Amino acid sequence: MIEFEALKANSLEEALDILAEKKKEVRMVAGGTDMLVQIHHESDDLKGMEYLLDISSIPGLDLIEDNNEYLKIGALCTHSEIMDSVLVNEKFPILKKAAEVIGSTQIRNRGTVGGNINNASPAADLVTALIALDASVVLHSKHGKRELSLSEFITGPYMTDRYEDEILTEVKVPYIQGEYFDCYQKVKRRQAVAIARINLAVITKLKDNKFDDIRIAFGSATPTAMRFREIEAELEGSDLNKIDYDKLADETGQAMVNITGERWSTPYKRPVVGNLLKRALQSIVKEVQ
Amino acid sequence: MEEVNVTLTVNGKEHDLNVAADERLLDTLRDRLHLTGVKEGCSIGECGACTVILDGKAVNSCMVYTFQIDGSEVLTVEGLETNGKLDPLQEAFIDHQAVQCGFCTPGMLMSAKALLKENPDPDREEIKTAIEGNLCRCTGYQQIVDAIESVVKKDGSE
Amino acid sequence: MEFKHVNKSEKRVDVYEKVTGKAKYGADMRFPDMLYGKVLRTEYPYAEIKNIDTSKAEEMPGVVAVITAADIPNNEFGVIIENQQVLAKEKALYIGDGIAVVAAETAKQAAKAAEKIEVEYEELEGIYDPLKSREEDAQLVHEELEDNQVIHHPLRKGDIKEGFEKSDVIIEREYDTPFIEQSYIEPEAVIAVPYQENSTVTVYGSVQNPFATQNAVATVLKEDLNKVRIVQNHMGGSFGGKDEVVSSMAARASVLALKTERPIKLVNTRDESIKESYKRHPYHMKYKIGATKDGKIQAMEIEAVADSGAYACQTPFVTWRSVVQATGPYEVDNVKTDTYGYYTNNVYTGAMRGYGSPQVIFAQESLMDELAEELEMDPVELRMKNIYHNNSFTASGQKLDNHEVSLEEVLTKAVEKSNFIEKYKEYSKEQPGDKKKGIGLSISFRGCSLGAEAIDAAGIILSLKKDGSVSLYSGLAENGQGLKTVYCQMAAEALGLDTEKINFMQVDTLISPDSGSTVASRATLIGGNAVKKAADNLIDKIKEYISDKYDQAKEDIYLKDGSIYGEKDVEIMTVNEMAAKAAMEGVYLTTYGWYVSPDISWDEETGHGRPYFTYVYGCQVAEVEVDTATGEIDVLNMTAAHDVGRAINPANVKGQIYGGVSMGLGYGVMEEIETDEGYIENTNFDEYMIPTVKDMPDIDPIIVENPDPNGPFGAKSIGEPTLELGAAAIANAVANATKKRIRSLPLNLERIIVGKDLHKGVDHK
Repeated sequence: MIEFEALKANSLEEALDILAEKKKEVRMVAGGTDMLVQIHHESDDLKGMEYLLDISSIPGLDLIEDNNEYLKIGALCTHSEIMDSVLVNEKFPILKKAAEVIGSTQIRNRGTVGGNINNASPAADLVTALIALDASVVLHSKHGKRELSLSEFITGPYMTDRYEDEILTEVKVPYIQGEYFDCYQKVKRRQAVAIARINLAVITKLKDNKFDDIRIAFGSATPTAMRFREIEAELEGSDLNKIDYDKLADETGQAMVNITGERWSTPYKRPVVGNLLKRALQSIVKEVQ
Repeated sequence: MEEVNVTLTVNGKEHDLNVAADERLLDTLRDRLHLTGVKEGCSIGECGACTVILDGKAVNSCMVYTFQIDGSEVLTVEGLETNGKLDPLQEAFIDHQAVQCGFCTPGMLMSAKALLKENPDPDREEIKTAIEGNLCRCTGYQQIVDAIESVVKKDGSE
Repeated sequence: MEFKHVNKSEKRVDVYEKVTGKAKYGADMRFPDMLYGKVLRTEYPYAEIKNIDTSKAEEMPGVVAVITAADIPNNEFGVIIENQQVLAKEKALYIGDGIAVVAAETAKQAAKAAEKIEVEYEELEGIYDPLKSREEDAQLVHEELEDNQVIHHPLRKGDIKEGFEKSDVIIEREYDTPFIEQSYIEPEAVIAVPYQENSTVTVYGSVQNPFATQNAVATVLKEDLNKVRIVQNHMGGSFGGKDEVVSSMAARASVLALKTERPIKLVNTRDESIKESYKRHPYHMKYKIGATKDGKIQAMEIEAVADSGAYACQTPFVTWRSVVQATGPYEVDNVKTDTYGYYTNNVYTGAMRGYGSPQVIFAQESLMDELAEELEMDPVELRMKNIYHNNSFTASGQKLDNHEVSLEEVLTKAVEKSNFIEKYKEYSKEQPGDKKKGIGLSISFRGCSLGAEAIDAAGIILSLKKDGSVSLYSGLAENGQGLKTVYCQMAAEALGLDTEKINFMQVDTLISPDSGSTVASRATLIGGNAVKKAADNLIDKIKEYISDKYDQAKEDIYLKDGSIYGEKDVEIMTVNEMAAKAAMEGVYLTTYGWYVSPDISWDEETGHGRPYFTYVYGCQVAEVEVDTATGEIDVLNMTAAHDVGRAINPANVKGQIYGGVSMGLGYGVMEEIETDEGYIENTNFDEYMIPTVKDMPDIDPIIVENPDPNGPFGAKSIGEPTLELGAAAIANAVANATKKRIRSLPLNLERIIVGKDLHKGVDHK
């Protein structure tokens, strides 16, 4: 059984003071949908936990704001808030598409984007979409703040670069100039409340029917969600009506295996990642028409 | 383990409570306030049997620590019936044979109630999304969706 | 026939308390001075228990007692074979075996104390494959036995050698089904209260079969049955799953209750429930079928091997139903069927809705489609050529002559409603794109009630009070399926009263008549007949009283709409008035109805006889869309035609159909308890997936009614038939869509894409 003292922060300063003081002995909880499961399962990650710091009441961390060049999403924004946000729907509809397939309504009402990122599951839907969007995260500590790209922040399955005295306070999603297309795909074992077997976020602009700044991010295929840059490079500048889909699918599967090696799940994932990319591109082609 | 003092309004009634750090809202409701209509099915937020409405939103009460929600308002299934009159959702569940073993029923009702409070005119797909996190092993869901839909139609929508 | 209450979708009698949250389930109950129990279970699936040190646990705050096997008066029980340990004594035989139980003032204190129990194990190498445990020199799971065979049921009809020689086409296939969890949303919960009134112990809780649990607790405590009382609370579903596991919990709680002299509450978490409770048997099946080119089946040779896990539990009976029904509802002159159950160190297996039928139906209905393909016939045509009709003979040589054999009717209706023929033709062609549609069907016959498993009888007590209200006491119990409502409707119909006048009393071994277990879809059929008998007896008493006092001929007296009528249909008085008068005159209006099912017979060597006294028939059609790019299956719609004899409550029957389809869909597409060397890998609902509302297809329920002469108001069974067909129909639809046949359940993502299942390390089908 895991036992702990409850701490509650009513301001970011308070939280940072506690983290600076108690460091590894503190774990944070916001929505609780990951933390309480870990506590129930007595996860090894919680060894040494003496305090549980509730940060859900810290004011100002649940805002979604237009900051001219990027959309700022507070770490405490719930998945439901992201889905319902006018700004998100306007600027980054793919985030809504990713958020709405997370868990259930109850989970979306509590789970936060900060929690989703900090948990760093390879299958996290928002993470895959944010990686495609080149998002970055801001971390605060008593000593200041730092910013790094989301792909740098997530260092491995369930592992992040967060220092023990830091709180992730916001996600910055840089605006894409001009019209763009997006597609989000999630393969699951049942039609709701299911972790992604594989997920995919594709974002691209078009210049004379050619892919421009195409981003392809897969989740749950490699140890962390990541962009498949070789595939992006290959498609960049290609005519969207002249794609050799079968070849592309093969290459995508191979690109995955180049990173993961042959694993027990490879016979399934190799063809499916290719198929998903095919499908995403075909849906964009259809939308363009 | 030290206790934390919280004030919680449950079904319209205010409670001043001292809760343990690891006391879940589910435990507070069931064990302290004896609102046993809220059920525990899985403890990890997967089955929805513990669904309550917290500050207007449907949540799994097994995934919330009570110390986190000082000052909040909670509505449970016990709060649906007012002055001896059943909520239209409860009536609809009765009329549509949407209840078999009844264990998922309180959670279903709360998810449905939360939906209708936010969106009084959902379509069938939206209704399903509202209860996708409420598992039922008995009914196959059909009569439950029918019941919720019937309340929507009755509420004067075209 | 016009009824007032029967055949009407009356609202459930227990629904008010359920929609208001007032209904009390096992875990909702509280008693003064109550303690909380927590079980410590084994760390290894198979291990010798060298030592158990509970001293540290006993010193923990709030702890009142800790028990181990040494404290159990009689540590072994079982419904058929008594080799199930209440707590592991010398060895833990499977991963869910309990080793010790702590009783403490709070649940948290009990859990913390359980962590402090020190157990010295010697980890042993177990045996986890029934195909290995059946081998000649296999390691014995139960060392006191000669081998690992729990049971073998043979069935022999005709001469299969001849049959195969006559055949133009012969195919042989193997099929596999996995461990399945019943997944009732309410985890198991019991409270044992010591020395209440005249009982040594009273156990409240989520008990599916109060009398089986009473028997188990009495056996364990070495007590007389009349000193052990079981009271059933509202149950949050069971589906067969709250029998032995709950009996074991009840026994543990009872021992603790007597030791501490305080009530003991024992509630499982979901993880504990999945680790400990028995599952549906995995089956490995081999089928060989021969047919002449016109499609007439000549011979079938079948072997089914069931994994019984660590204990015998219900294996002998589950595999018995399989041997009876393994051929499917087809006329076959030459049959050789053998079903087996073997011990392993896997989680033990027992009753789950279907009870040995879903497995063989998956195999046999897949096989029929495979045969149809070989014969170049469509699936409907082949079945029409072979299905039972009135007066057909089953594989057991039973002539189906005492009820309407409605296979053709359910098949035709389902096929028509779903537009099967046209769609099958359409989907059989090559389809462009990744998403492919398919349609498939499955049909079954199912023996109603227990058959040759046990004495099949039930009792009902009807008590007409002096104010005209009626108490109904039943031994068969509400699991959520609607039993209370249906019994009240039947009693109301028989007595000419409003359903609201009948109060179905809590099932309590203190007074309810022991009617065996609420299983085998027998409650409406057997229990309903008992309701009728009790009602008939009550009516007889009333007639006697009235004819005596009011000078009426008995034949002229009848009850209708709450009143008693006599000669020339003149109303004599209301039932309320009569009840009051009778009470004042010392006439006792409480009656007993005991119904014993018609004779059945079974020869254990040959499988010949009349194994069930009646049957029900069903057909389900599944239309699917298979995403061959990702492996996902979308079940678009399901048509389900079921002959229920008579629908006592049509809305209820529909509810059973929807629920059964849901469970069948789960079985077909997503459910599987994954085991690895005896460990269960998915112990909660995040990884053991059951269908959500979004997984559900549109469902067309077709209620077929051919009143059964042996059924109350003609009614027979619905609970299990609705679940047993879904997976097979979906499998056939998927094969139609993809042109590939998958012979293992579930039809998960990997099997669709890769053709076999994938797991870390181990080679899978």
